[in-house]
Amino acid sequence: MGLITATKAFCKLLFNPQLCDSFDEMIASGGTLKIESKPAAESPKPIPPEIPVRSDAISLIAALQREARLLDIVTESLDGYSDAQIGAAAKEVLRDTGAVIDRMFGLQPLTTVEDGAHFETPDKFDAAMYRLTGNVSGEAPFRGTVNHHGWQATKCDVPQWNGEKESALVIAPIELEIKS
Amino acid sequence: MNQFIIGIDLGTTNNVLAFCESHQTNDTTDVQLLKIPQLVAAHTVEAKSALPSFSYLAAEAETTGGALDLPWAEGRNFATGEFARSKGADTPDRTIGASKSWLCHNKVDRRAPILPWNADGDVGKISPVAAAQQYLEHLVAAWHARFPESPISDQHVVLTVPASFDPVARELTREAAIAAGLPPHFVLLEEPQAALYAWLNQQGDQWRKTLQVGQSVLVCDVGGGTTDLTLIAVDQNDGELELRRVAVGEHLLVGGDNMDLSAAYFVSGKLSEQGSTLDPWQSVSLWHSCRAAKEALLTDDGPATHTITVLGRGSKLIGSTVSVEINKEEIAGLVLDGFFPKCHLTDRPVRQPASGFQEIGLPYESDPGITRHIAAFVGSHCTGENDSVSMPNYVLFNGGVFKANGLKQRMLEVMSTWSGDQDVQELSGGSALDYAVAKGACFYGFNQQSGGLRIRGGVGRSYYVGIETAGLAIPGAPRPMKALCVVPFGMEEGTEVSVPSGEFALVVGQPAQFRFFSSNTRKEDQPGKLLDRWTEEELAETDPLVATLNLEDSDETFVPVKFRSKITELGMFELWCETGESEQAKRWKLEFNVREN
Repeated sequence: MGLITATKAFCKLLFNPQLCDSFDEMIASGGTLKIESKPAAESPKPIPPEIPVRSDAISLIAALQREARLLDIVTESLDGYSDAQIGAAAKEVLRDTGAVIDRMFGLQPLTTVEDGAHFETPDKFDAAMYRLTGNVSGEAPFRGTVNHHGWQATKCDVPQWNGEKESALVIAPIELEIKS
Repeated sequence: MNQFIIGIDLGTTNNVLAFCESHQTNDTTDVQLLKIPQLVAAHTVEAKSALPSFSYLAAEAETTGGALDLPWAEGRNFATGEFARSKGADTPDRTIGASKSWLCHNKVDRRAPILPWNADGDVGKISPVAAAQQYLEHLVAAWHARFPESPISDQHVVLTVPASFDPVARELTREAAIAAGLPPHFVLLEEPQAALYAWLNQQGDQWRKTLQVGQSVLVCDVGGGTTDLTLIAVDQNDGELELRRVAVGEHLLVGGDNMDLSAAYFVSGKLSEQGSTLDPWQSVSLWHSCRAAKEALLTDDGPATHTITVLGRGSKLIGSTVSVEINKEEIAGLVLDGFFPKCHLTDRPVRQPASGFQEIGLPYESDPGITRHIAAFVGSHCTGENDSVSMPNYVLFNGGVFKANGLKQRMLEVMSTWSGDQDVQELSGGSALDYAVAKGACFYGFNQQSGGLRIRGGVGRSYYVGIETAGLAIPGAPRPMKALCVVPFGMEEGTEVSVPSGEFALVVGQPAQFRFFSSNTRKEDQPGKLLDRWTEEELAETDPLVATLNLEDSDETFVPVKFRSKITELGMFELWCETGESEQAKRWKLEFNVREN
C-alpha cells in the first residue's frame, strides 16, 4: 500500500467509523479492503442539536418568581398571618402568575362544553385527551358528563437562557442595593 | 418588488412592528405583529409583541459572560426593551426613558450625549437621536432574525411620528432611522392618521356606511407621556366619500403615566398614614397596581372599591405586604376630574407662570386637563367663520389609557355638551389599543402600493422663516423682524413652490441663519405672505435653519437669493436658497441647527 493510499485510507477512517471495521478486517486478512457502499441518506451527518445548558423548567420557574414572586409566597410559612393578609398577597401573586402562564402557553380549555353538560368522545379515542371515571367499560365512543373541561397549551414560549453552566440553576439572583 | 410592507410605531413608551405581504386580495388586509426577542433579565431572552422604549446603560461588571447578549449581538454593554424598563425602577441613573419626548425639545442639543438626563457623567450617556437609533436597530435585527431572506432595506417601510412633531423632530427621526438601516425611501406617517387607518382596515368598506359627508372625526391619541390630536373631515369628491386631515394639535406632554402617577401619589399618602413607606421598586409596583385600579373602577359596572396591594420587597413576602382600599369616587376625582375635567368649549388650558429657576428638563404641560386642550383645539378649528369643518361627530380613541372605559365616556359626555343637542359618539371596533398605530401604518403602506384608500391632507401646519427688516438700526434694540410664509397649510407631498418675495442678500462663505416658525392655526397664509406681528399662540418657534453659501469661480461677496420650499414624497420638509434663473439657478439647502439655542 503506497503512502497516498494509506493517507486516503486514514482520512476515510477519520470521517467514517464504519470503515474502521473493514480496515481491521483487511489488516487481519492481510488482503484487500472491502468497502461496503452505504446508503446515501446517511451523508452528510446531521449536526447533533446543541444540548441546552439549562432546562426550560428552570427558566419557567425563574420567570414566575421574577414577574409574580411565586417562589417567595410558596416557601413562606403561613403561621401567624391572618387569612386576610395571606389573601391580599396571594391575590397579587395569582394574578401575575396567571399572566405569565397565559403569555407563555396561551392556555385554552380542551373543550368548550361546560362542566356538568353531556359529552361524547370521538370513535378514535386518545387516552391523553380524556380521563374516564365512573363506570368505564366497552369501546369508544364514550358518553358522559364533563367534570372538568381540561386545559391545553396553544404555544410554548419559555424565555431562552444563554448563561454559563455554573449559574444554570440560579432561579433568582441576590438583590444588592449599592448605597453611595 | 418588495415582498413585505412594514409599519413601525416608534413610541414614547413602546415600539411595535407590524407587517403584511404585499400581495393580498382580501377585503381587509391581514396584518401581523413581529415578535421581538429582547432581554427580560440578565442572560434571558423572550420574544414579545412590543419593545419598551427604554435603554439601560450597564456597568461593566453587569455585562460579564455575555449577560446582555442577544441572539444577534455579542459583547453588549447596554440593553433595550423589557429588562431596561424594569431597571428604570431601581437604577434610574443608568436608564433612559421617554427619549422621544427629548427629540422635539429645542432647548437642548439632541445630537449630544445628554441622556439619562441628570445622570452622572461616567455612565456613557447617549443622545436622544442615538436612543431612537438603538430601538430601531433592535427592531431591524429582530426582523432579520425572523426573515433573513428579506432584508428590511428591500421592503416598503412606513414609520410613524406624532402629528405634532415639528420638521426638526421629523428630520432627527429620519436621521436615526437611516442610521439604523431603514431604507432611504421609507415614509413618515402621522400617528393619529395611522390609528384611523387601522380602524379603516378593520371596517373594510363598511366605513362608508358609518361616516357621512360633512361629518368630522377627532382622533385622540393619549400615549404614556404624550397626547396627540388630529381632526379628520369627511368630504365628497365625484360622489365618492373622501377623508381629509384638516388640523393637527400641539405637542402635549401629558399622558397615561401622569394619571397613574397621580393616583400612585395619592395612594402612597394613604399608605404612609398607615405607617408604611415604599422603596422605589415598590413604588413602581404601586404605579402598576394603580393602573389596574383605574381600569377596574372606571367602568360602568365596575366595583365600588378596589384593594391596592403592594408586595413586600424582600423574600418575606406576606409579612411585609401592604394593602389599602381606593374607591370609585377617589379615582374619579383624581383621574377624571384631574385629566378630563368637565369644561366649556370656550375654556382654555391654564398657563401657570413659570418659575424663574425652572430646570431645563422636559417641558411638561402646566395644565394636565386634556379636555381643556381639546376645547382649545376644536375651538380654534371648528368654530370660526372660515372653518369649513363641523364640530366632531365621532372620536377615535387610541392609546392604552382608554382601556379604562370611564375615560372615553367622560370625554364623549363633555364633547356632547359643546355641540348642543348632538351626541358625540365613539368610532368603535378598531384594533387593540396598543398595536393600532403600527398596524395602521402597515395598512397605509399597503394602500400606497395598491392604490387603496388614502387620507388627504398634506402638511399639517404652515411654516415661516424670520426676516430682519432693513431700515435704520437703533443702537441696543433688535432690528424688527417679520415672518415670511414659505409653506402653506396643506401643501401636498411631492410638490415644491418658489416663494415670491424680494431678494435677500447673503454673505458668501459665511453661515446664514434664519429663525424658523410654524403655525397650526394660520391656514390661509400663502407662500410669500409677510407677517408683521403675531401672537405667541399663533406661531411656535423651533430650531433655526442654517446654510453656508459657497460659490466657486466667483468673487462676489454677496449673493441675492430667494427661497424655494419642497415637501418630498416621503413627507419631509426642505427649504432651499436659490439664485439666478431656473436653468442656471444655484441652490443651497438649509439645514436645521439643533444645537442648544
